[in-house]
Amino acid sequence: MTTTSRQRRVFSRRASTNPSRRSIIALAALALGLAVAAPAVADSTVIRLGYPGVGIDNRPFGYGDNVSVAHIGHFIEDEFKNDPDVKVEWTFFRGAGPAVNEAIANGQLDFGAGEGDLPSIVARSKGLKTKIILAADTRDPIYLAVKPDSGIAGIDDLKGRKIAQFRGTNLQIATDRVLEAHGLTERDIKFINLDTGNTLAALASGDIDGAFGGPEYLDLDRRGIVKVVYSTKSDDPAFGRQAALLVTEDFESRHPDLTARVVKAVVRSAQWSTDESNREAVFQGWTKSGIPVETFRADFAGVKLTDRLSPIIDDFFIARYRAQAERAKAYKLLRDDVDVDSWFEPKYLNQALADLKLEDYWPRYDATGKKVATGTVEQTQAATQ
Amino acid sequence: MSLTHPIPLPQAGEGTLPSRRTTRVPSAAKRERDRVRVRELTGSMPSLRRLQSVAVSLAFPAVLLLLWELSARYGWLPEQILPDPRLVIQTIQEFVASGELLDDTRISLARVAQGFLFGGLAGLLLGIAMGLWPRFQAYVDPLFLAVSQVPTLGWMPLLILLVGIDEELKVTIIAWAAFVPVTLNTYRGIRGVPARYREVGQVLTFGPWSALTKIVLPAAVPTIFVGIREGLANSWQTLVAAELFASSEGLGYLMAWGRQLFQLDLVITAMIVVGAIGLLLNGGLGAIERRLQRWQVAS
Amino acid sequence: MTVTALALPPTRASTRWRAIALPLGLLVAWEVAAHTGLVRALFLPPLEALAARAWTEIVDGELSLDIAMSLARDLAGFAIAAVIGVPLGLALGLSRLVERVFGPTFSAYRQIALFAWVPLISMWFGTGEEAKIAFVALAALNPIVFNSAEGARSIPAHYREVARVLTFGRWQLLRYVALPGAFPSIVTGLHLGLIYAWLATVGAEFFLNLGPGLGGRINEGRELFQMDLLLLCVLLLGLIGVLLNKLAGLAEARLLAWQRR
Repeated sequence: MTTTSRQRRVFSRRASTNPSRRSIIALAALALGLAVAAPAVADSTVIRLGYPGVGIDNRPFGYGDNVSVAHIGHFIEDEFKNDPDVKVEWTFFRGAGPAVNEAIANGQLDFGAGEGDLPSIVARSKGLKTKIILAADTRDPIYLAVKPDSGIAGIDDLKGRKIAQFRGTNLQIATDRVLEAHGLTERDIKFINLDTGNTLAALASGDIDGAFGGPEYLDLDRRGIVKVVYSTKSDDPAFGRQAALLVTEDFESRHPDLTARVVKAVVRSAQWSTDESNREAVFQGWTKSGIPVETFRADFAGVKLTDRLSPIIDDFFIARYRAQAERAKAYKLLRDDVDVDSWFEPKYLNQALADLKLEDYWPRYDATGKKVATGTVEQTQAATQ
Repeated sequence: MSLTHPIPLPQAGEGTLPSRRTTRVPSAAKRERDRVRVRELTGSMPSLRRLQSVAVSLAFPAVLLLLWELSARYGWLPEQILPDPRLVIQTIQEFVASGELLDDTRISLARVAQGFLFGGLAGLLLGIAMGLWPRFQAYVDPLFLAVSQVPTLGWMPLLILLVGIDEELKVTIIAWAAFVPVTLNTYRGIRGVPARYREVGQVLTFGPWSALTKIVLPAAVPTIFVGIREGLANSWQTLVAAELFASSEGLGYLMAWGRQLFQLDLVITAMIVVGAIGLLLNGGLGAIERRLQRWQVAS
Repeated sequence: MTVTALALPPTRASTRWRAIALPLGLLVAWEVAAHTGLVRALFLPPLEALAARAWTEIVDGELSLDIAMSLARDLAGFAIAAVIGVPLGLALGLSRLVERVFGPTFSAYRQIALFAWVPLISMWFGTGEEAKIAFVALAALNPIVFNSAEGARSIPAHYREVARVLTFGRWQLLRYVALPGAFPSIVTGLHLGLIYAWLATVGAEFFLNLGPGLGGRINEGRELFQMDLLLLCVLLLGLIGVLLNKLAGLAEARLLAWQRR
């Protein structure tokens, strides 16, 4: 039996000297190394905040709550600017609340900054260990935007129509409540799960009859591309949505001091953003998301900044979460009961209020929504108007 | 050890290997004795042996299931990452009972059927045309090749802009997913018909239609069928992706719902059904394909 | 079908002309339609617009970064799949025991449509780079394992006989018989894996998009109705796919050069 010299060479070479095999191994090792190489484990602590949303064409800017103001104004970064070994990292999630949940579940985030009520409730029902330490926004209205020629004039006309809705976000639960009040359920409507960016495109191209959402559609309404035919502002304000600043129990237990300082920074930003004399500046700051300033003016028309952006965890805020959790179970959005009461941790907020002498700055409301304490911020006036 | 030295092979008639080697390899006679022994022990029952092989193939999945159950019970992984298997079973039961699972499956299958029919038919026609008329093929082939290099899903954003996000999108992209492999394989099948088959047709003075239906197509069927199988597999893959993107019903929608509402048990349920259907499609068509290839005389 | 014996075989020139006739005609029609407003400029930008957009995106924009990121994910996932898949496939093909224990599970895994894994992966890995690379690896694993196993299974009997005669141990069997014998199939599997990996890369960016990448740009083009960006990126998608395919084919030819069957 004879073999060619070439075959002998291949057979007799060890794998490590065979060039083709060696190059494959080298490539694999390189790629593996690149893929697995984690950022250099420095001694610094990184505070990772996740915001559930992106601006127009995926811009990393939020709007509509006090954490976005904190981000735009660099309040948190300023708090730690004299700490060289503390870094602040923001990530903006196109997938909104559900994507923030996924990231928290994977240990990729320390704070859910402005996560909506439903997604955080759903996550809690699945055992995600977080604590609500600050209110990010309250009484946030939703809007129904429809194609101008769709013939939909209100909620009652929605039966059987194709409507976009970002599932799993606090939009869903707010929508379900509105539908329930008008005698409809989710099954009566052909809901399509689309995120905000895709919804805007689908509305503009007429692929869907309408969409539920936030103020993103007000600009399209102004331009005549859609018609906003319903808003919870003109309906029961209990139909609004909420969002909060959450911290993972893990981060809180490891860095209670950093948690307290983050809260303090956001409270400081809220102090600025609920001051009516800063109204226009707040709106201008939010235009970094790509949404025009007229949208925010319209969204907040007839509403005081403090009604929406107050960071206070009062009985009203807690009651809202309790109600949403109960409704979510009724709408079969989650399976198990959620213990809402042990979820809130206001001690950092109270500490910040004491330190900054803001205990009386914001009004407080009871569980039914009645004001039980006035706040000094209510005396501020808008600069114009 | 290198192969350049001649090896003393056992000569015919020699029953044993050279004695200086340790007999690591049992002789044929010993192996036969062992086989008989095993057969005696198992009672030479083929069904028992089949049971054995089934048991072995289920061993690994059983271990996985056990690990899953233990993980859920002792909380090795958070329940958002790995839900309780009993919850998954419960979910499956709920969804089967409420008929939702059947509905969504039916809708998904209907979409695949529609798209595959369109795409497959178009692919057959184009493939036949390209196979029969080299001139036509020369014109069309480069364009077809270029366009088919873009992965099917790469066309989705463009299609969304052109046809929207509704049923038309899904049917169109599924049709395209089937179109490419069917065309390619049909064309190859027809070209691959040996020349002598056609010569037989000439000898028998077949007209073009008879030649096509009696000689060319039947000879090309096995390869065409490969294309059909690939096309269906492709269609199914594309359906799942298309439904994940934007739909209000279907298996992909179920998965999207599960993902948005953090219900991994729902995602797993949908995945099981997707896998089962994939198995049925591949298995069923694979069996038919093997049947078809059986009568094909080896050329 | 009659064969006209008198038909002249097509000349080189005419075959080349035929090859480019249709694509050229379509391009011309495109230009005409775009310029004469036959089709809305929104839907069909003229070719120069595409070229101009390509220029601006590469020079002023981040298109090269997007392409680089997509390719990086592609190759990283592919490498992981190759490192895991080839040994796994060989084990499946060489050892009856491994085949019987793990084979059915692997078959079951193959039946699940690739994109059905997206929700699971996003919940297990989040939506960052790890998720996308995991998805790409999952996609490439399929053909790599399958073909490696096939290759190992179909090693000619006389190779094994030679090994038995030479009383090869397990390790020698692997190095001198199994690997070279299965090598062609392994290479085919790797080639296919590269194709699947590219498909998965684009798909991953489409569904898990966070961060730069071609898929993200395509999405952007779609949402902003920027057809020039959209078409440009789809074109790039196809081109890179072709390039990878060609490269893999070349590598395959070279690696298998010694096997003259």
